[in-house]
Amino acid sequence: MTMKCNRKFVTVASPFFAILIGLTFGAAVMIAVGTNPFSAYRQMFSKSFFDIYYLGQTLVKSAPIMLSGVAAAIAWRAGYINLGMQGQMCVGGLCATLVALFFPVKSWWVTILCFCVGMTAGAIWALIPTYLDYKFDVSIIICTLMMNYATNFLTDYFVSAPIKDTAGDGLAMQSPQIAEALRFYRFSPKNAMNTSVFLSIAVVILIAIFLKKSKFGYESKMTGLNREFARYGGIKSTKIMFMTMALSGALCGFAACIEIFGARYRYVNAMFTSTSYSWTGLMAMLIADYNPIMTMVYSIFLAGLAIGGQALQRSVGLPMQISDIIQCSITLFVSIKLLFNFQKLKINKKPNHLERDEEVEHE
Amino acid sequence: MLIEMKNITKRYGSLVANDNVSITLKKGEILAIVGENGAGKSTLMKILYGLESYDSGEILINGKPVRFSSPYDAIKNSIGMVQQHFMLFPPFSAAENIVYGNEPRRGIFFDKKEAYRLVEELCRKYNLYIDPKIKVKDCSVGLQQRIEILKVLFQQVDIIIFDEPSAVLAPQEIDNFLQTVLDLKKAGKSIILITHKLNEVMAVADYVTVMRNGKVVKKMPKHETSIEELSYLMVGHHLEEREIEEIEPEEEILAVSNLTKTSPDGVKLLDDVNISVRRGEIVGIAGVSGNGQSELIQCISGLEHADSGKIVLNGIDVTNASVSAIREAGCACIPEDRYYWGSAAEASLEENCIMYHYQRKSELMKNGFLNSRNVSLFSETILKDFDVKHTSSSQSMKDLSGGNAQKLIVGREYMQNTPLLIAAEPTRGIDIGAIEYIHGRLLEKRQKKDAILLISSELSEIIELSDRIYVMCSGRINGEFSRDEATREKIGYLMMGGKNDDEM
Ligand SMILES: Nc1ncnc2c1ncn2[C@@H]1O[C@H](COP(=O)(O)OP(=O)(O)OP(=O)(O)O)[C@@H](O)[C@H]1O
Ligand SMILES: [Mg+2]
Repeated sequence: MTMKCNRKFVTVASPFFAILIGLTFGAAVMIAVGTNPFSAYRQMFSKSFFDIYYLGQTLVKSAPIMLSGVAAAIAWRAGYINLGMQGQMCVGGLCATLVALFFPVKSWWVTILCFCVGMTAGAIWALIPTYLDYKFDVSIIICTLMMNYATNFLTDYFVSAPIKDTAGDGLAMQSPQIAEALRFYRFSPKNAMNTSVFLSIAVVILIAIFLKKSKFGYESKMTGLNREFARYGGIKSTKIMFMTMALSGALCGFAACIEIFGARYRYVNAMFTSTSYSWTGLMAMLIADYNPIMTMVYSIFLAGLAIGGQALQRSVGLPMQISDIIQCSITLFVSIKLLFNFQKLKINKKPNHLERDEEVEHE
Repeated sequence: MLIEMKNITKRYGSLVANDNVSITLKKGEILAIVGENGAGKSTLMKILYGLESYDSGEILINGKPVRFSSPYDAIKNSIGMVQQHFMLFPPFSAAENIVYGNEPRRGIFFDKKEAYRLVEELCRKYNLYIDPKIKVKDCSVGLQQRIEILKVLFQQVDIIIFDEPSAVLAPQEIDNFLQTVLDLKKAGKSIILITHKLNEVMAVADYVTVMRNGKVVKKMPKHETSIEELSYLMVGHHLEEREIEEIEPEEEILAVSNLTKTSPDGVKLLDDVNISVRRGEIVGIAGVSGNGQSELIQCISGLEHADSGKIVLNGIDVTNASVSAIREAGCACIPEDRYYWGSAAEASLEENCIMYHYQRKSELMKNGFLNSRNVSLFSETILKDFDVKHTSSSQSMKDLSGGNAQKLIVGREYMQNTPLLIAAEPTRGIDIGAIEYIHGRLLEKRQKKDAILLISSELSEIIELSDRIYVMCSGRINGEFSRDEATREKIGYLMMGGKNDDEM
């Protein structure tokens, strides 16, 4: 296997292999604890994908994952590493909840209003680090990442005091429930499955088309692949940077609203941190190589893995951490692929110093 | 026989890059491989160096069959390669780069002193001098190449492959390089040299192999052939002397006045530059590379800002305007470096073809959305017109051969149909047939009363095409010639900083 082939091999086959290796690793762990991995996997996947109840759970869980994954993909493919999806979700979700709780009218169109507010809040939250990068050259990666922690404390403060739900036992840190009129339609009271899942899938498909066909999609892709080429071709890089990050943040806000108005009906303390939706979404979009449709597919797969893991715990008594182990080993192999990508970036940058050196020669 | 590659076949999908190719190399011989863009030269060399696999065929070294799976194997078998894009670490010293992979150690630590000593010894042995302590980022392209050569020599290889080594070098550096190749031969090394410049072949090669369309057309000893025959074999027809018709230039399209730019460390990159380009004119800028030509075109095309001065394009003041405003005003630009500015390697040919075109052509983009069918059609026109050898317009740019990538970029900028075209090194890495074609297209554009600002390290290209020539030295315009006055000697003298009293 040559170096070049290796690289190609890794980019083409890695999602598949990452998953396969992850599953194999999980199987090894199961064998070690004395469980038959084949029957365990069969149970796991037959539950999460072929059992109506669990399938509903899988899809509901996958919605915020795929949306935040696509949000990350939008930014990353343009070369802006947004790691603040979690914070953008927290702020978006909280703001939407506030409107839902305090807006006097309770009607379906208020849901749309709440979504707009949530998306705007998410976008603004993403634009803060963008502006800092633009103005003061602060790294977007670090800034977005650090803002997650700050945001988390900020939003938790709201549910621990100002809008804390006093109806229950008073222990849970959460907001009161939003009005029934604002919620998405549930097919059965026993099952979390609701119409917001379809809305999420539709949005992902629309974004996929938008990124492929639109001027913005083209310009942001070129910016991500070679920023100098984009600049040379007359693409306004600042505009693309702000638009990209705003869109990414808005989509995070949207993801949070889907979770709140479709599944949870309230803002709960640490609801986006403990579930790690955004990190799972990030993983899905990395496996999918920034492709929104594939991000959706992998999000559903990863959600199914988690739901199946829970089901497994109930029926076989295997700890649900099994699915975490599988997920982690998948991440590991995906990150190996990332390493290759970075290496490629470095090689692509090579001509850069050639040009510089011509200037130096002249000194 | 030192190396025999027998019946090598390499396919990329439906495309046969090497079709039953056989070459041989004897010890102490210099073999030149020439051929049109996309003929399969680089592919063949990558196979020999273990960078690329092959579908069938056999490689023998000293009669023994070998199969390399990586350059590491090739180096163990005494084969080294100087790649077209240098693989150096700019922040590190020359010596550190040269010994990389085989570092001398003291205990577990890198022994820098010993590295310096080894490199000095190596330099003496091959008469290739370099300061071991100089940082690679402070080296000219020519010096970087010397470091690459030393790196290969440090690996103690006997066979050295050069893939288009002279494409990025200035004429003086090329002469040095060719001398180095002859010295290496004297030291007993065997060399394979890929180049598009036939005079280099005639200067150093013992044998010449001509490739076309993935096949070897002919192998012959150098002294039995000529530039004419080689170009005939490569292109398939004889190249004719071109008659350049005189045309009267019209109104001014580009006026640069008192342009000044200073680097952050106080070096004058542009020093009071004044130039003017009129419609129907090809204006050349001659100069040793690194004397301000790059900065000048970057300021004109909006990639860099000038400190002071004025640029008027097509009647519009575009001093320090944005790239898109300048393109809008009527300027297209073939950039110096096809990978740094000219293209996105990972993007498809279509995506590379439509850059900026979509801003102006409503059939490509309407209401913010691309029309895929028209994008394909439009891309195919560029690819066909400029004879870019490709398999499909959705393949990625990085799979094009170097020359074909260049042709795509030339085609894209040419088709912008702007009154001013900046052409920086337009024919870098392109075969002689395609050079002839591109020169023809540039002259056609001039005939249509558009203007071209030409920058090239190939002095002959500038002299052949330009109606007027500015000579740059140390960021200044050091003189100006009309077509009739221009000679190599006069221009060369001004390029080195001499003064032309008749002109100034
Ligand atoms: N990885 C690849 N995938 C698909 N096609 C490829 C790939 N690499 C090269 N090719 C094709 O193989 C053919 C031969 O390419 P190669 O780079 O060997 O040409 P070359 O003779 O070196 O040309 P040039 O003079 O332009 O450098 C070209 O048509 C090129 O498009
Ligand atoms: Mg080549």
